[in-house]
Amino acid sequence: MTAHLDSGDQPPRPDVPRIDAGEPVTQAAHTGAPTSYDQLDDHELLRMHVAGNPDSFGFLVKRHRDRMWAVAIRTLGEPEEAADALQEAFISAFRRADSFRGDAKVTTWLHRIVVNACLDRIRRRQVRAADPLPEDEDRAAELAGPSEEDPAEVRERRLDVLNALKQINEDQRAALVLVDMEGYSIEEAAAILDCAPGTVKSRCARGRAKLLPLLRHWQTTRASDVPEESAAEAVGTE
Amino acid sequence: MTESGLPTSEHLEHLDTDTIADLIENLLPAPEAHRAREHVKACPECQQTYDALVKLSEDLAEEGRADIPMPTDVAEHLDAVIVSESVLRASTVGVHSLAQIREEPRRHLPKLLGAAAGVVLIAAIGVGVVFATKDNANEGAASTDQNSPPADAVTITTNDLGPQIQQWLEHNPGAIMHGSAAEQACARTFASGRPNPNVRLVQPAKIDGKRATIIGLQGGSPRDIQVFAVTGCSEPGGVASPFYDTTVTLRNR
Repeated sequence: MTAHLDSGDQPPRPDVPRIDAGEPVTQAAHTGAPTSYDQLDDHELLRMHVAGNPDSFGFLVKRHRDRMWAVAIRTLGEPEEAADALQEAFISAFRRADSFRGDAKVTTWLHRIVVNACLDRIRRRQVRAADPLPEDEDRAAELAGPSEEDPAEVRERRLDVLNALKQINEDQRAALVLVDMEGYSIEEAAAILDCAPGTVKSRCARGRAKLLPLLRHWQTTRASDVPEESAAEAVGTE
Repeated sequence: MTESGLPTSEHLEHLDTDTIADLIENLLPAPEAHRAREHVKACPECQQTYDALVKLSEDLAEEGRADIPMPTDVAEHLDAVIVSESVLRASTVGVHSLAQIREEPRRHLPKLLGAAAGVVLIAAIGVGVVFATKDNANEGAASTDQNSPPADAVTITTNDLGPQIQQWLEHNPGAIMHGSAAEQACARTFASGRPNPNVRLVQPAKIDGKRATIIGLQGGSPRDIQVFAVTGCSEPGGVASPFYDTTVTLRNR
């Protein structure tokens, strides 16, 4: 379970008028100056959005877009698709913000909307039958992020994982991204993917088996970076 | 793990990666799982695959914790989409529901200029402006005791606050301004620090036994009212201190 996820997430209830559970009102919100958006937490930004503030949602998007981009690009494997899915997801979140329950984390709520938007696209794609995704080598470097932001080895590893994920089937990829990368439990992933927990386990297992040869060199590289520990683990000797 | 001398390993074929991955996820039937586990223990090569699969999960988790910077063009496009969504929302004053906006986004765009002018007007006139859209002009004629708040302090609990205010405002299309001038001024000062300073309601109250003031602020759409329960406004020169807030969504606005 990664730190950024709540396990108790439930789908928002769009038909129920939202009534706050009397959370304390933060002082920053009262001053309300645009320069103070940085200091406002996610809940307050979302509340201001629901109350009609025209800028606070955009700020929320800016704050979390890299995280959500990571989710979308890993799940969908293709930048155009990921961008479209994220756009759908954020518009949906914008319009459904009043259904957000104040006791969950805003990131959990957003995350779930993004995941669902990605899975919707996968399902639609599967219905359209197998039109294989075009290889988009040109965007590879861009996908790894601006070079000034991260060290070369971080970008390389990122690209390796993205390229490897693209080569396994979509169902296995979605399960693996949810469980291994995003830290959802098997049961949560099963609920999101609308299948049995056993199916999620099986997709994860088979997905890992397919990924392993694709990322073996990655593991070896990483192992050689830290010879004392990782190398021993990777080769399984004692 | 170097028990390569165990007799069984030499005679068994290596397990395939799928089987080892299934073993890790407890997907194999019991007898098969037992055989596989024994084999992995005895076979350094399969043990290596087993360990590598476990490590792969860990590495994916580590990689999963990292964000990926959104490409600049995608980010700019997304920003523009959110801005236009925000403009669209601001332009749909008088539209009944978000569902309607979703269905007919294009139709509402021409309202943009008029709505923007309306927002400026409201900001200029300030407090107490009545949203007299054609939708609600004929509402609120029949006020009963339940449908309008008393001029003096109303006794209420925080639990009932949302539904009660919803009822008042649904039957009173204009602003409801009760309490002394000082109490109203205190409420306006509080409102001026909020993102949406348009006051729809000031009501003296006794909430959960304590003297308080209910302040209702117009949300981004005419249907949304942000409600605050504050103390401090009942005293001369007092400063509002909120202890409860809720958002109510009005029907038929």
